[in-house]
Amino acid sequence: MNDWALRVQELGRIYGPGGAECVAGTGPEFGRSVSPTTGAVVGCWDIGFHVSPGEALGVIGESGSGKSTVMRCIAGDQQTSTGRITLRSVDDGATDLGSLTDSERRALRIDQLAVVYQDPSEGLDLHVSAGGNIADRLTAAGWRHFGNIRERAAELLARTEVPLDRMDDPVATFSGGMRQRVQLAKALANRPPVLLLDEPTTGLDASVAAGVLDLIRDLLEETGVAAVVVSHDFNVIETLTRRCLVMHHGRVVEEGLTDQLLEDPQDAYSQRLVGAARG
Amino acid sequence: MTSAAVPTPEPTLAPETVLSVEGLEKSFTLHAVDGRTVEGLRGVDLLVRERSHVALAGLSGAGKSSLLKCINRTYVTGAGRILYRRAAGEVVALTELDDSAMAELRAAEIGYVSQFLRTEPRRSAHDVVARAAIRMGADPAEAHDLAAVTLRRLNIDERLWTTRPVLLSGGEKQRVNLAAGIVVAPRLLLLDEPVSALDPANRECVIEVVADLTARGASVVSVFHDLDAIRRLADEVVVLVGGKVVDQGTTDDVLDRGLDLEQELQPL
Repeated sequence: MNDWALRVQELGRIYGPGGAECVAGTGPEFGRSVSPTTGAVVGCWDIGFHVSPGEALGVIGESGSGKSTVMRCIAGDQQTSTGRITLRSVDDGATDLGSLTDSERRALRIDQLAVVYQDPSEGLDLHVSAGGNIADRLTAAGWRHFGNIRERAAELLARTEVPLDRMDDPVATFSGGMRQRVQLAKALANRPPVLLLDEPTTGLDASVAAGVLDLIRDLLEETGVAAVVVSHDFNVIETLTRRCLVMHHGRVVEEGLTDQLLEDPQDAYSQRLVGAARG
Repeated sequence: MTSAAVPTPEPTLAPETVLSVEGLEKSFTLHAVDGRTVEGLRGVDLLVRERSHVALAGLSGAGKSSLLKCINRTYVTGAGRILYRRAAGEVVALTELDDSAMAELRAAEIGYVSQFLRTEPRRSAHDVVARAAIRMGADPAEAHDLAAVTLRRLNIDERLWTTRPVLLSGGEKQRVNLAAGIVVAPRLLLLDEPVSALDPANRECVIEVVADLTARGASVVSVFHDLDAIRRLADEVVVLVGGKVVDQGTTDDVLDRGLDLEQELQPL
């Protein structure tokens, strides 16, 4: 394996009663994610991939395919049912993140693993100013000098194209696109090696979404961060990623180079998905 | 009785060979239509020597672009294999490389210029080419100058360098894509109809640029629907019909004996 920053192995997440026995009878070949025996929902199962520094991996699929479940398990927003998630930057990959306590998982979010959510209210305190949101992330990492914090926050907001005269305004007064830019600034504040982006432009007006998408594209190229981009939108995946997984009913049904998945999808579901998006 | 696993032999290539396509097959299974399979390539063999230019010729639908896309791994291949000698000398099977390694190889050594007249959205011509240079390993401080030199060489009006791609004509987009593919000369360049949308003057300009690339050490596999371009650029020609190689050899030999080829290509 090449150099890697994030590795996911045999990840599974089941909602409801039962363990691995619930998996039988679910998946793409059965056309369902709900266990016929226990009623448990298999959110995702047997998911494996790695992401290298400077690389963006796409995860695409329709609503309910399990892509956001994977993202939330990596982020620590949800417990995994099985599998390992490791960061190269944490004990050189020896520690399964699932074995950490909640406070240890939260600590990772300071400078090891950042998340940009579709809903900015998950990544930001909307009642706090843009600068304050970023300062919160910086102080968690040990920054103490007010001037330095202010300077770094201004630098990040400038890079994410947020007008500096809005730095002290509550994020609740910002447009959707501007909130996503502040989320990006906060996520990148402490230069984490891994960035998770969950539907980062979904719900934005087309022109605003294009601007945010272009900003993410530039930031990924400039920072060298290892990114996982979860989206149902092939335009987002094509713009940001060079490798991609296709998920359906909680499983990876195909993986490959992004241009290959768009031009020569092999799986029947992938072909339907691409055909619906591209004609 | 148990038998020891036979180790897979290390891929090898003859000296001076940069690319070898061996018995390559490609088919398309149309799950979303009726499940039928369409044959694309049927047992294609191809050798590309270092610093040489091999042109793929044949009618539309013969499999020329499919072969380029298989080499670039834009298409998933069936039987057969594709071997490539890296700049460092190591021989790798492109058909077996994992996706990450293939992506890295593309960034470092293999350039592909699509026939489609589309550039990266909402990114200026200069930015597209400069970023391509950085991906190919150029010093970021030099990338802008490299991009400028390449765009100028391909005759892109400087007033268009900073505009959005929607303002570019088809021929301008074609040359911007070519500029991105060659701003740092790749070791292997896959060119799919790079002059199809160009006027005579710009066509001439691109032919000179491609000729210069092989003179400076790149190997090229191309598709041209332009016999004059093939005559001037290619060392060898491979003729495809229905996904099979029906003739190959030096350009002069193939064109001299391929009496129908000129007739087939010229109207296109």
